Amino acid sequence: MTPRSESISVPYGSVVVGNVTIPESFQEKIYTIPNRRNLRTVSPKIYGQVEYGNSNLLVVGMISEQEAELKKWWNVEGSLPQNDANQVLLGSAVASFLRLSVGSTITINGMALTVVGILSETGSVDDYSLFLPLHTAQRLLNQPGVVSVIDVGAICKDCPVEVISQQIMNALPGVKATPVKQAVETRMEAVEQTANFSLLLASIILVVGCAGVMNTMLASVHERIKEIGIFMSLGADSIHLYKIFILESLILGLIGGLIGCFVGLASSVLVGPLFMNMMISFLELPLYPIPLSIALSVVASLTASLYPAWRASKIDPVQALRTV
Amino acid sequence: MIVMKDVTKIYEMGSAQIFALNGVNLEVEDGDFLAVMGPSGSGKSTLLYTIGTLLTPTKGNVTINGKSIYKMKPRQRAKFRRENIGFIFQTFELIPYLTALENVMLPLYLSGVAISKHEDIAKEALRKVGLAHRALHKPTELSGGEQQRVSIARGIVNNPRILLADEPTGNLDQKTGKEIIQLLHKLNDRDELTVIMVTHDPEKACLSNMVLQMIDGRVVEDEQRTYRKRR
Repeated sequence: MTPRSESISVPYGSVVVGNVTIPESFQEKIYTIPNRRNLRTVSPKIYGQVEYGNSNLLVVGMISEQEAELKKWWNVEGSLPQNDANQVLLGSAVASFLRLSVGSTITINGMALTVVGILSETGSVDDYSLFLPLHTAQRLLNQPGVVSVIDVGAICKDCPVEVISQQIMNALPGVKATPVKQAVETRMEAVEQTANFSLLLASIILVVGCAGVMNTMLASVHERIKEIGIFMSLGADSIHLYKIFILESLILGLIGGLIGCFVGLASSVLVGPLFMNMMISFLELPLYPIPLSIALSVVASLTASLYPAWRASKIDPVQALRTV
Repeated sequence: MIVMKDVTKIYEMGSAQIFALNGVNLEVEDGDFLAVMGPSGSGKSTLLYTIGTLLTPTKGNVTINGKSIYKMKPRQRAKFRRENIGFIFQTFELIPYLTALENVMLPLYLSGVAISKHEDIAKEALRKVGLAHRALHKPTELSGGEQQRVSIARGIVNNPRILLADEPTGNLDQKTGKEIIQLLHKLNDRDELTVIMVTHDPEKACLSNMVLQMIDGRVVEDEQRTYRKRR
């Protein structure tokens, strides 16, 4: 059970950044795909180059929260630029090259921008970029209402990323959605680790549960020793006694399984958002764990009842009848 | 017919050996009403449970209707017990969470009688002991005498040939005890049911057609056939 999380780039036509664009409104349309609940982040961006003195600068327009959500590894000194404000976040290389720090101002193509944050070195192209709020960048590049690319982050454990990219292409004609498997790797690993840990925890609980059932059944055999003696005097044989105790454990296991199942489902819906930052809806949970966990609970409790049942069948009826 | 030949039951208590039964020879014919008397620890109950196929003797042979019951495998013996022997006890031993009717139905479940017939057969048995009107009561809602009647109904519901009673009146007052003994005699008379009853009470014992006195695991007095009524 390893939830897969992927990031998908949505360039339009060929992947020539800055020349071909998609309407900004496409970012809402992405939410019409069947697996829309698996979408984590939708981050529209515009790329462009601007002249600054003798050099060209790479400008990225973005929606700060979405981009930061996608790039968890970002470490920002200062803050992220606010939507529509004339603010800029500088990549580390750009900042040192232009000798700018938080609070300074830079004027590009006649637009004055306040440096509100500087990115720690990432080792990627981000180090050489200037990050502006999406709409500010559109004004700067003179391309209102369009974006170059939409990065889509999705978390889904049962649907391959290809399915989601296909769904996006169906929903947005003329758009090419290419699966890019990276970006939220760290979160994926965390989810995977949690899943493994849960499995370990579940196995321990299963063993402890078995011991509990066996203990309860042994106590029950002991408590009902007289009853067992009466049954034997009425002509019950070992098979009858096995049947009685196995049936009892079957009922226990079934009830326990059912309760456990629904407590588990409910807690995953309640706890999921808390720990994993994932919204989980009852409707989307896979169904197979329900019969699986009930079956497991029944099998466990049956196994645990065999020894107590055997003990019951070995009771001396005369001794049992004499106990008070 | 029940035949016991040189039946001995020894309990090991540390290094000591206790002879609960010591070379008992006994014949009980079909339709007999046998009372077993004797002081505590004389082996009365041991004798009863040995006849009842519940207690394997250390030595000797017990046959019922020609079948050597302790040579059977345990499950065969349980089946034999279901079909041929009914028990009643001093403290009734009804299952407290079941109604009178359900208690009487229990042996039918064990015998594999068709479930649809259980209720009718059990009601008929309750009617025989005069308790049809209390069928749906739990044991705690019944008097001692009534509980013992339910217990008798449970003992006879499978139509056994032998009814074994361990001090059936020990927990009842004089009058109720007498009624229970009368009921046992009625079943003995009408259904040719062999009854073997362990008792302390000489008055109740002398109503039977055969009285056995036991001391230290031996049968010391055998007033056989003295009171035999018929045959």
